[in-house]
Amino acid sequence: MTRFVESTITFPYKRSLGPLVGAFMTALTERRILGVRHGDQVLVPPMEWDPATGAELAHDLVEVGPAGTVESWTWVPSPSAQHPLRHAFAFALIRLDGATTPLLHAVDAGSPSSLDVGTRVAPRWRGSRVGRIDDIVCFVPGEAPEVEGEDAGPAEEPVTRMDYLASITYTNPVPPATDRAVAATLERRLVGLGCPHCGRVYAGGRGHCPIDAVELGPDCEVELPQTGTVTNFSIVTPVQYPGQTETEPFVRAFVLLDGTDVVLPYSPVVDLPADQVRVGQRVEAVWAASADEGEQGGMGGAWGALAGWRPTGEPDVDDPDLVNRIF
Amino acid sequence: MPAAPAPRQGRRPVAVVSFAQAPNVRRDTAHNEVELLLPVIGEVLGNLGITKDDIGFICSGSTDYLIGGPFSFVAALDAVGVWPPKSESHVEMDAAWALYEAWVRLQEGDVDTALVYGFGKSSMGDLGKILALQLDPYVMAPLWPDPVSLAALQARALLDHGLATERDFAEVAARSRRSALDNPKAQVAYDRSADDLLGEDYVVAPLRRHALPPLTDGAAAVMLAAGDRAFELCERPAWITGIDHRVETHALGARDLTSSPSTAKAAEVAGVSAGPVEVVELHAPFAPQELVLCRALGLPVDPTGAGSTSVNPSGGPLAANALMAGGLIRIGEAAARIIDGRVSRVVAHATSGPVLQQNLVAVLEGA
Repeated sequence: MTRFVESTITFPYKRSLGPLVGAFMTALTERRILGVRHGDQVLVPPMEWDPATGAELAHDLVEVGPAGTVESWTWVPSPSAQHPLRHAFAFALIRLDGATTPLLHAVDAGSPSSLDVGTRVAPRWRGSRVGRIDDIVCFVPGEAPEVEGEDAGPAEEPVTRMDYLASITYTNPVPPATDRAVAATLERRLVGLGCPHCGRVYAGGRGHCPIDAVELGPDCEVELPQTGTVTNFSIVTPVQYPGQTETEPFVRAFVLLDGTDVVLPYSPVVDLPADQVRVGQRVEAVWAASADEGEQGGMGGAWGALAGWRPTGEPDVDDPDLVNRIF
Repeated sequence: MPAAPAPRQGRRPVAVVSFAQAPNVRRDTAHNEVELLLPVIGEVLGNLGITKDDIGFICSGSTDYLIGGPFSFVAALDAVGVWPPKSESHVEMDAAWALYEAWVRLQEGDVDTALVYGFGKSSMGDLGKILALQLDPYVMAPLWPDPVSLAALQARALLDHGLATERDFAEVAARSRRSALDNPKAQVAYDRSADDLLGEDYVVAPLRRHALPPLTDGAAAVMLAAGDRAFELCERPAWITGIDHRVETHALGARDLTSSPSTAKAAEVAGVSAGPVEVVELHAPFAPQELVLCRALGLPVDPTGAGSTSVNPSGGPLAANALMAGGLIRIGEAAARIIDGRVSRVVAHATSGPVLQQNLVAVLEGA
């Protein structure tokens, strides 16, 4: 039975708009739609460059619409959560009056029978507009623009930046080798997988040898020691980006396990202040307090209940090459 | 030793000498990307009796947005085993463009072989969202137009301009899935008539379910070899005698969705019309796009496949649509028909971006 891990990645973009797109977005807050002249053409949305040649265009802006004509359309019977409307709607290419290229937007048409190529549509403006393409909620059949709710008026300053939040949820299967490694940590064991070709041993649930490009099955499993030596470390001063939970500087150490060639990367340390960690320091594994009840340690993922590494108090290992062992 | 046909582009003849792909499936939960690639890389090298030590250059195509993790292309190198270190590159595009980069690299003349691979698992995220992120971020992406809706706008434009009928879409789908019955790696294969398919409901009008590609987890690899090395490795290499790729504006409204000028230009440069086209493998994920591409390539537009050119004998992307590998698979499937001696001149096409924005065309020939 495959186990899945769900994770959501959010991209909180803040985009600079530049002089042309900024003017377009500012005009949207004024319930006006702008295009850019290019010879006999009027491109909507306005572009900074000729779409065919890449030549820079003069920023010769002209108001178009607000009504226009449907050039192509499609009916979306079951909108997804991110779509512009919660109920069935049309995506359409709409050529606004005065424009020579169509604008992509949604049309709230009620049913597909009220739409055709050539149908006239006009914008439904959002009452509160910030200078985004979705200041237009959608288009509606007819010639008359609408405003949804109370009209809060145009932006007080020219719009120069746009927030765009993209958030995607992933459901990733956990490879069997990772699951076996996690299961071992719940018994307070560290296991690795040994490559039958090169003899190298890999920890952390890696189910293949990256040197020989072969899969490593359960038959390759070897028991690993729970003592080792710090080979290198970093003290991370957390930047408070969205999602950061750490507030104080913390250590991530690399630990070479005794009698093996296995280095555990990016490990937390326990009972060891950041300013006292040293290359060559002797350490032992620390397990989550109730590992046998399934508690996860600080490293997460394939490291399962491993919480980190604590000094043993033994004398340091004096080896100048140790610092190079990060994998 | 026979002579390689003179290439239109480049100074050095380069050929596809081996091709392998993973079984295309809806959801592969048993393998991560590396494990998905391991047998594919093993097969593409094993076909030639060579090992990773015989690879001069590596180039891959993939996107981290599919897996939701950073640097998945670096992790994927584990499937090759790059120790001692290898010269390697990556494109955040379909691996057909990785093949193009490898072809350019082989023109340098100091290496004779290149491994190209691509991988994509569509099962882990929401493609409707992920692919919206490739659109113009100011005026399109905030509306979250999904790829099916955009393809439906293109289909409507074809219908409205009298360039296709809904029956044509169904004929393309029926023929593709019927061809896929002969492809053991295909994901969707059936023998159903166009009439039967036209009875389906619209998913996003005017597209019915049959006109949409499947969601696929897959991976593929190709070995390229240059000059005499190709003949040493392969009795009948598939020589790339022409290759070119072109892109159109990201402003959807500024494009004519009923045609594909970028494909037409790439086809002209690659020399598609310089000889008969026995087989064409088209990277047309949505059924109507096959009609657009045939026109752009100067091939007869016959959805039923009665013409002299065999269109997508593998079943094409309607039978299996592994993102980031699908374009490379078109080149591999076309080349395989030369390598096995069935035909002498084929055309392969790959696409990237929304509704055929960017297109690559390659002509491959037997010596």
